[in-house]
Formats: sequence, C-alpha cells, structure tokens
Amino acid sequence: MATVDVPQGRVEGWFEERLRVGSLFAALLHVRIPASAATYFLGGITLFLFGVQVVTGTLLALYYKPTPETAYDSVKTITSVVDFGWLIRSIHHWGANLMIVSLVLHLLRIFVQGAYKYPRELTWVVGVGLLGATIGFGFTGYLLPWDQRAFWATTVGTEIAGGVPLIGDALLNLLRGGADVTDATLSRFFGMHVLVLPLILGGLVLIHLTIVHQLGLASPRHPEPRPTRPGGTVEPVREPLKPFFPHYILDEVIAWAAVLAVLVVLASVWPAGLEEKADPLSSVIVVNGVEQHVKPEWYFLAVYQLLKVVPEKTIGILIPIVGVGVLALLPFLDRNPEVAKRKRPIALLLAAVTMAGLVVFTIWGQVS
Amino acid sequence: MASQVAEGRADSPARRRFLRFLLGFSVISTIGMIAAPIVGFLIPPKTNGAGAGGKVLAGTTADIPAGTAKVVPVGSKPVIVTNTEAGILAYSAVCTHLGCIVGFDTTVKHIVCPCHDGHFNPANGAVISGPPPRPLASVAVSLEGALKDQIFLVPGA
Repeated sequence: MATVDVPQGRVEGWFEERLRVGSLFAALLHVRIPASAATYFLGGITLFLFGVQVVTGTLLALYYKPTPETAYDSVKTITSVVDFGWLIRSIHHWGANLMIVSLVLHLLRIFVQGAYKYPRELTWVVGVGLLGATIGFGFTGYLLPWDQRAFWATTVGTEIAGGVPLIGDALLNLLRGGADVTDATLSRFFGMHVLVLPLILGGLVLIHLTIVHQLGLASPRHPEPRPTRPGGTVEPVREPLKPFFPHYILDEVIAWAAVLAVLVVLASVWPAGLEEKADPLSSVIVVNGVEQHVKPEWYFLAVYQLLKVVPEKTIGILIPIVGVGVLALLPFLDRNPEVAKRKRPIALLLAAVTMAGLVVFTIWGQVS
Repeated sequence: MASQVAEGRADSPARRRFLRFLLGFSVISTIGMIAAPIVGFLIPPKTNGAGAGGKVLAGTTADIPAGTAKVVPVGSKPVIVTNTEAGILAYSAVCTHLGCIVGFDTTVKHIVCPCHDGHFNPANGAVISGPPPRPLASVAVSLEGALKDQIFLVPGA
C-alpha cells in the first residue's frame, strides 16, 4: 500500500486521512502552463458566470410560478416584494448577457491564438456545444417573465424555428408544445431552462474542462508537435512554463471578483425590467408611451435582421444554420497547422469579415 | 521571483501572519457580502394577514341554521361559525393540538377535531375533552343588515 502524505494542519489532516483526495487535487492543480499563455481568464469567467446563474436561478425558482396566470405576478413579487429580489433577478439578467459576451470573447481568443488546432479539435467542438446550450438558456429564459416582450419575442423566435426546411413544422410543435405559444410552451421552456439545459451544460463543461486539463493550455507561439505516425512519440516544444496554482488561479479569482463587481453595478444601475403582462391578442409593446417593435435579445438581432433583408425566408434561415455548422467543424476545415497570427492571414481575415458582418447586422437590427 | 517570495516569507513570520489575516478577512467578508442578499431573499415576505383592516362576509343566518356550524375561509385562515343556544359565535377552525381543521358534531353539539377527537365547547371555545392544549381562538362576529341576518367576521378585533 502506498504511503499517504498527511498534511500538517489538524483539520486538514483529519479530513485527508479519511478522504485521501490530496493527490487528486494535486494532480488537478499542480500543473504547468506555457508562460506565454494569455487566456485573459475568459473561459474561467464564463464558468464563474454560469455559477452565478445557477445560484441566482435556483433562488428565483423558489418564488417563480410557471403558469400563464401566475408567472407575471410572481416575477413582479420577486422584483418588488421579496427582499433583494430585484438584485437577484437583475444579476440573473445581466449574468446571462455577460455570459454570452465572455463566451464569445473566449471563442475569439481561442480562434485568434489557433488553440483549436491539433490536438484540441474536440475541445473546440464541445465548446461550440456550450455556446449552443448557453444561447438555449437565453432563448428559454426570455419567455419566463410572461410579459409582452417575452411572449412576442418567443412567438417570433419559434416561428423562425418553424421555417427550417423539412423539420420546421415538427420543430415548431416540439418547441411550443402545440401550434401556438400557450401554457404548454411556458411549461416546456421552464423545464428546459431549469432542468434539461443545466444538465447538458454541466455535462459539457465537465468534458470541456477534463480535455483542457488532460491536454494542457495551448501555446500561442508554437503549434503542438505531431507524431509522424499514429501512436508515435514526439519531443515536446521547449518553452518557459509557469505554475497553474497558485499563480494563474489567483489572477483568475481576482478576475471573478471584478466580474462580480461589474454585475452588481449593472444590476443596480439598470435593473431588469418588466413590461405589461402578456396579451396573446395584441402584439403591441408600449414602453413609456412609445410603441416598440417586437425584437429579440441582442444576441439574436443579427439573425433577426438577416431574416428581414433576405427575401427568401428559407435562405435566411439556412445561412445561420450553415454558419454554426462551419463554426463547429472549423478545426477540421482549417488544415493550416500554424498558430502564429502572421502565418494565418486568410483565416483571420475571414473571421474579421464574419465578426464585422455580425456587428453590422446586430446594430442594423437594433436601429431598424 | 518565486524564491524571493519564499525567502521573504521565511524571514518575516509577522508579515506572513499579516498576509494570512488579510486573506482570511477578504474571504470572510466576500462570503458575507454574497450570503447577506441570499439569506434576505430566502426569508419569505410578509403576506397580508387574513382580512387585515376589514371584515369578511361569512354568509347569512339562513346559511347556518340553529344547531349547525360552517367553516368559512377568511383570507388564508379557516374560521368556524357556530349557531347554537349561545348565539352566533366564531372561532379559528385550526385545532390547537396539531393544526387540523375542526368541524361541528350536530349530535353532541360540540366543535370536534376529526384528527385526534378533541372536543371544544361552541359557547366559548374551551376544551371539553381530548388532547388540545388550549381553547380555540375566538373571532369577533357582527350581525348587520336591516334584518341583522348578515354575518360579518372581524378578524383581529
């Protein structure tokens, strides 16, 4: 039997004798990462925000009532009656938005540094799955307050899903739980939002982090050496390394504290709003006496605008679907092994054009 | 760099203690900052008490003939209105034993709890027999209308 190193402290020692997890934690924490790695802590920030969403979402679920008769009033009660209810709800609202932002920035960082290339193709594919699950959270969560904006954005959003060639009608029925947005839709979206998606996202995060741990962080300077034949060995690139713990972890935790501060400020200055209660017979949204168009959340605006300007609806729907497919399969489409920016001009140019297009369509969708 | 830090720590235990204190203080205050709104959120908000600031129409004397009783909701609290020789009286219908809802036994003319057979006197709410530790709390009744036939309950009066 292997000898067990028991830590010095009395409490730690007591637990370590009974759990023997010290070596597990050591294997997880005491790894080395390239000194040149610049992650900007974005993956960790996204994970932290997911944690914030789990905590605030669980709290909200204690008061929220998912039926068309009660949903709106329960959200109103959370916002105006329950102590700190406005804060918890607004942090959940802003946490969702920031999670999308940090996830997209994380994706861009991985792209620009070429960290999706061999041997990290599957980390990227799982990451695109995480993006999909996160957007699913946004889409399903948006309906839950059951106000006019929620109701009509969901009506329009599910209508778009109904336009997907071949499976559109089935998809629409599956999403809405019937032909229209009704109490059945609310139950489905609530179940998806609080049970299905958290399990999917949690599972994908576990896979994502396991691969990241097993492969280590990518060097933004050198491509990973590849064996000449499958199963062969290679000499690792010699470059300066730094400890993951405590150096990197400490910086990451400081980044989390900063993000939490930003969240609280955003939630306090611009708390989550609530429109009039959903009215299935009128899609007029009036804010401060001004009638507004039914628009989706900002991260769907590009697709929304695309659908408005592309005359053929099917093509307008196929473009984003193909786009997501290309994104998911990027490591297998981009065969250039280089990671240095100056050796990947075409890939970076295409990405810049895509991002510019997304930004333009998002702004256009907002102002039109 | 790392070795310098290690030497610095080894050379000045006071500095090390101070840093440990700072770290502990930061961790505890952060936890407190996060926990305070969560605990506040979990404490249920005060709901409006049953019939707060008003009276509740329980029915008319025709609904509760002499020798009977009726359980009516007052807000979220049930109240039993009895019409016996003592007149029209009302009590909280929540048994003082374990919280079951009491009813009226027309044969023995008692307020009876079905759960553990506690008997109460409809004239004053006092315990006649069984396990209940306290009498039923009485609720004020006022008869109104031209014929004095409308039974109003005044909770908290």
